[in-house]
Amino acid sequence: MGDREGQPTITLRRSVGTATATATSAGLAFAAIDYLGVVSILAYAPGATAAFAILIGGLVVILVSAIFSELNGLYPTAAGIRLYLSRAIGNRTALSVTFTYMTTVVLVIAADAFLIGAAVRHVLNEPAVLAYVWIAVLLGVALAANLRGVRIAGWVQTVVTYTVLSGTSILSVVALFHVGGAFRRPFDLFGGGTFSGIQAVAFALFLYAAFEWVTTTAEEARTPKVITRALFVAPALIWIVASIFALALSHLVGYSTLHNSAYPQLLLGHAALGTVGELWMLALTVLTALNTFNGGFLVASRFIYAAAREGNLPRQFARLNLNAVPWLAVTVLAVTSAAVAAVVFATGQWLLLVSVGAAIECAIYAVGSYCLLILRSRVDRKRPFRLIAGRPLAAFGVVLFSVLFLATAFADPKNSRHFSVAPFTVIAVLGAISTAYVMLIVPKLQRAAAARTAASRPRRRPTRPTSTEAVNATDGSDTDAGEG
Amino acid sequence: MADWQELSEALADYTVSCNGNERLRRMQRDWSRILHFVCSDTDQTFTMDVDHGEIIGVREGHVGVPDIVVTTSSETFCDMFWGDLNPVQKYLRGEIVVKGSQEDVMRLDAISYVIWPES
Repeated sequence: MGDREGQPTITLRRSVGTATATATSAGLAFAAIDYLGVVSILAYAPGATAAFAILIGGLVVILVSAIFSELNGLYPTAAGIRLYLSRAIGNRTALSVTFTYMTTVVLVIAADAFLIGAAVRHVLNEPAVLAYVWIAVLLGVALAANLRGVRIAGWVQTVVTYTVLSGTSILSVVALFHVGGAFRRPFDLFGGGTFSGIQAVAFALFLYAAFEWVTTTAEEARTPKVITRALFVAPALIWIVASIFALALSHLVGYSTLHNSAYPQLLLGHAALGTVGELWMLALTVLTALNTFNGGFLVASRFIYAAAREGNLPRQFARLNLNAVPWLAVTVLAVTSAAVAAVVFATGQWLLLVSVGAAIECAIYAVGSYCLLILRSRVDRKRPFRLIAGRPLAAFGVVLFSVLFLATAFADPKNSRHFSVAPFTVIAVLGAISTAYVMLIVPKLQRAAAARTAASRPRRRPTRPTSTEAVNATDGSDTDAGEG
Repeated sequence: MADWQELSEALADYTVSCNGNERLRRMQRDWSRILHFVCSDTDQTFTMDVDHGEIIGVREGHVGVPDIVVTTSSETFCDMFWGDLNPVQKYLRGEIVVKGSQEDVMRLDAISYVIWPES
């Protein structure tokens, strides 16, 4: 707690250091869908310009890192953004935003299940319909492991993350040797249309998306600076890997092949090293599932559990099985993810998930900036990290990320010269459902919970006399004694 | 503010409720932890030892290296150990501050939830 209000730092028997926190942050961000994210960037920033867009995205993410570092320093808790929001803009709005934010977890789990299923089916040369069997198997295994309370140890997660990042980099470097150093169109940021540069940067932000979830591990960090370091180092790692991958992909695989494919990483692997490269990238793709499913199920199911315990979701969602796992929350997550994956599978709209995910992340970054702006004027507590020129930069963040939200929410990732209302419509529907739920259902749930508690049993804690009552009682007994 | 006497009574009741709950004991069968508690208003500290889901001791002061550290007011601790408040609500409002893994934080709340599902 020492991190807060200048108290001494507490040493825990098991705590998270910088390497693990960085791996957690990078692992949460670098999912299989990131390979598709690079394809989305290539739609707006062709050739080597994609790497330039990823660099600019990385520079923008530094602002996000700084904002979340300060917010995390103020409230180092697993409740994270839920608490920042409720302190800055009120509980109901916080709840609506957090519910919408959590839907991105479902989208990412569904997208990863779909992409891995599609990749496995492709390599095994099976009929297209079998992809859904693989999706069901993957989600089934993830569900069973979660219900049994199986947790991936921190060190395994760290090894997996660094293996995926280094494996992707090595193959990309090998691929780059095929083409030499002549990068085509390195600075053609507005070659795809008037707004293409802005949209390319907005999609580049998606590659870093979810890195800020590492703030939910703040309570187990060895020191407060561990989370701050992770928030700055993890995006740097992702920047390096994504840039090399984008350069290799744009040089070895034609865009016309990429934009219809759900497994661009396999195409790159095949182009670079034939079957070995394809299997290499398949192995890395499957490995990303460990982090996505472990982190995604854990974060979302614990959020649902806490929301149910707080009275904001039906209390059935807080029910625990004998492994202390909120079984209904985990099951609903898996079933919902399978349903979303089925829709993606049936419609082939996987790039829509990228657009929706990118837009929601930009909106969350805008909201995070707004929280800092408000909390700067309300909370004057000492924090381990303080953003220099915090207020103007937070205000700048609100504007910048709002613009980037619009850029992705109306983007058509398959055609940079067209706009599409589909991503915005999906987000608007999710937001409307969340808000309606919070406004209409949550008050009823809370009234019912209060009535249940009042009816079920009286207060158990024995009532003690206050100091005044104790004195009066003493005086009274003396008087009585005297009168007797 | 609650004194150590009040806290001890609350902790004694909590221990009996926890150790006597068969379902909770099965659920926490693999949970052995040292918990440190800090009363933010009185600076009172105490330690709870949990061995395979059984509370085997509560002592004044901090003993051993903790897995979890919980900080809140002495009144909140008393209400929590008597089962008169929902710890999650206080936690999400930032009134209970915890250091420890998310899993352990949930396990700690699970004790209150299983013993007093209506709290």
